[in-house]
Amino acid sequence: MGKKRLTMRRKESIYGYIFVLPWIIGFLAFTAGPLVFSFVASFTNYNITSQMDFVGAENYQGLFTEDSLFWTSLWNTLYFVIFSVPLTTIGAIFLSALLNQDIPGMRVFRTLYYLPAVLSGVGVYMLWMQLLDPGTGMVNLVLSWFGIDGPNWLFDPDWTKPSIIFMKLWSVGGSMLLYLASMQGVSKSLYEAAEIDGANTWKKFFHITIPMITPVIFFDVVTSLIGGFQIFQEAYVMSNNGEGGPANSLLFYNLYMWKQAFTNFNMGYAMAMSWILFVIVFILTIFNLKLAPRWVHYEGEEK
Amino acid sequence: MNKLKVFIILIAGLALILSGCSGFQTNNSGGDEAAVNEDGKTVVDFWTFWGSEIRRPIIEQIITDFNESQDEIEVKHTYLPFGDIWTKELAAIAAGDPPDVVINDINATALRGQKKQAMNLSKFLEEDDISKRFYPELWDATLYEGDSYGIPFNTDTRVLFYNKDAFKEAGLDPEKPPTTWAELEEYAAKLDKKAGSNYDRVGFYPLWGIGYDVWLLNANGQSYFDDQDNFEVDTAKNEEVLNWLKSWKDKYGEDVVNSYQAQIDSQQGHPFFTGDLAMIAQAPTFYTQIRDYAPDLNFGVIELPEYEEGNGNTSWGGGFVAEIPEGSKNSEAAWEFIKYLTDVEAQEYWAVKNFDNVANIEAAEAAAKSDEFTEDGTMVYEKAVENMEHTLLTPVPVIAPDFTSLINPNIDEFLLGSMTAKEALAKSQADVENLIEKNK
Repeated sequence: MGKKRLTMRRKESIYGYIFVLPWIIGFLAFTAGPLVFSFVASFTNYNITSQMDFVGAENYQGLFTEDSLFWTSLWNTLYFVIFSVPLTTIGAIFLSALLNQDIPGMRVFRTLYYLPAVLSGVGVYMLWMQLLDPGTGMVNLVLSWFGIDGPNWLFDPDWTKPSIIFMKLWSVGGSMLLYLASMQGVSKSLYEAAEIDGANTWKKFFHITIPMITPVIFFDVVTSLIGGFQIFQEAYVMSNNGEGGPANSLLFYNLYMWKQAFTNFNMGYAMAMSWILFVIVFILTIFNLKLAPRWVHYEGEEK
Repeated sequence: MNKLKVFIILIAGLALILSGCSGFQTNNSGGDEAAVNEDGKTVVDFWTFWGSEIRRPIIEQIITDFNESQDEIEVKHTYLPFGDIWTKELAAIAAGDPPDVVINDINATALRGQKKQAMNLSKFLEEDDISKRFYPELWDATLYEGDSYGIPFNTDTRVLFYNKDAFKEAGLDPEKPPTTWAELEEYAAKLDKKAGSNYDRVGFYPLWGIGYDVWLLNANGQSYFDDQDNFEVDTAKNEEVLNWLKSWKDKYGEDVVNSYQAQIDSQQGHPFFTGDLAMIAQAPTFYTQIRDYAPDLNFGVIELPEYEEGNGNTSWGGGFVAEIPEGSKNSEAAWEFIKYLTDVEAQEYWAVKNFDNVANIEAAEAAAKSDEFTEDGTMVYEKAVENMEHTLLTPVPVIAPDFTSLINPNIDEFLLGSMTAKEALAKSQADVENLIEKNK
């Protein structure tokens, strides 16, 4: 029996596994357990400390049929995702296109627009609460210079979610950096060839720049979609007592889930909620992945 | 494909084993011995959220005093931020290795007792009944099915602060503040100083400082739930109260209300300090802000006005308890420390140094006589102690802990004008009844 030499292909795949091993170990040790546990516990009345009895699909049934706050929170979250994902994506592309010009002092602008992405968390929310203050805030002050009577922002249920989307737009700098990097990678020769053919700036942008950065757009849409469904902090910090008001207009899905888990101690119920969210996000992501080959262009890909 | 299935089953099995380790038992039979330090003293891990430069030295002084008062127990203070402390406590209980004493919200004590997060303290209380130390309203809030699950530490109440100089200027007697809602309205109208569409001085606005729920409590003299867990919010009286609250909003207008609210929230140039607001309902600790930011303000303090004469000056309060988490291995020592923490000496020290209402009646009354307070301080503190007899707590009902999230949005809608008071109350009544039914 002669030892069979490993083929190149096999060797490579073994290397591959070795490289992903740390992640797999981490996943199995720290994520997979809680994941499975939460799935099992979502069929119980688990409350962390004293009870864990099997209740069948009662949690799920209760959520869908008896819990009006569940639907409110789901609607609020969908509203946020539907507006914030396209707006921040378009905003970031637009901004990076502007910052991709060759003019003096560009580095200063790039730094300025990236700054909000460095600042983050509660401090920024506090700052925006002051900016958006209806009576004394800067935003309404500026609007008043143009004769616009600004809305009540965080005090008016119709304006609370737009307020948060508006705030999110301010910090598109993070994804802007990704777009900028990929725009810089677009080969100059493509633009030169297009210019010789008489293409104007718009045509170059839509027919060269955009298709060349579609992989990054795809990445950004997928991650911000997932992130959008997980919105929590903004509402927790920016509504009175973290309750998701006024009129439950900021009661996002994760905020409601958190309240169920940690103020009502309905952990099983909250786990059922987290699995519903998981399924929603999972379906959307699969949908995205299936749709991707139709519009995402990878350079060097064989078609 | 088969390989994949085997793989998935293996992962799932492994995961179950892993999750089993951190299970949901609270008793960790392996580690029942108490924690002991090198001096042979039992170590009590005490968690608080008092980390500010004012509060931390005070609680640590109390701990030092306790540690020096005996030689068997060593209390160790662990500070955790307010936003984290109780979720961390819960995780520690679930992991079977909780701290020994935790400061927690008094209003959810019964709920934590029901869920077996907090330890039933009746076995200690049978030996040494300290329940008479505290205001009965506070003590009752710690009970679940007759047993106590936390010992009251501090509390608060709501009183009315008013600007005496503004009273004089408006031709009112500064020693005769308003005692009924009708007087409140009358006085506020006299105190208002209008300048165009804006106000140079606002007399009073009921929803700055306290919420609509305190006014409902004030009018009804009781909370939404009776002893039998019957819930009632949809009443003619409540409708009247809500409309009364709305009438203030209509009177001053959205813009005035919002811009004042912003100044109050920002804590810079509070309108009460600058004299732009003549009266405000607040907790007595509001005095410490007056002391620090507007030391020259000539103000008075009085209980909340009553709905109508003879109705009672019912006010609202909250507070914190010291509890022993279920699964603590040093519960005997923890109990000794809690007794010290809620006894007269420590409570008086806390009350005087922090200007805070304490749960121990004797300590509260002694603090009111403390010579460490200024004249104003004594006036406010005495009123705060006096006001405890009118003060009700609203512990969360075990049957529907989150019921307010079904009322608040409707009241918001009402105050914004998209629902009538009747509709808002009827919807709240129906929604909460549904919740109770669902939780049964």
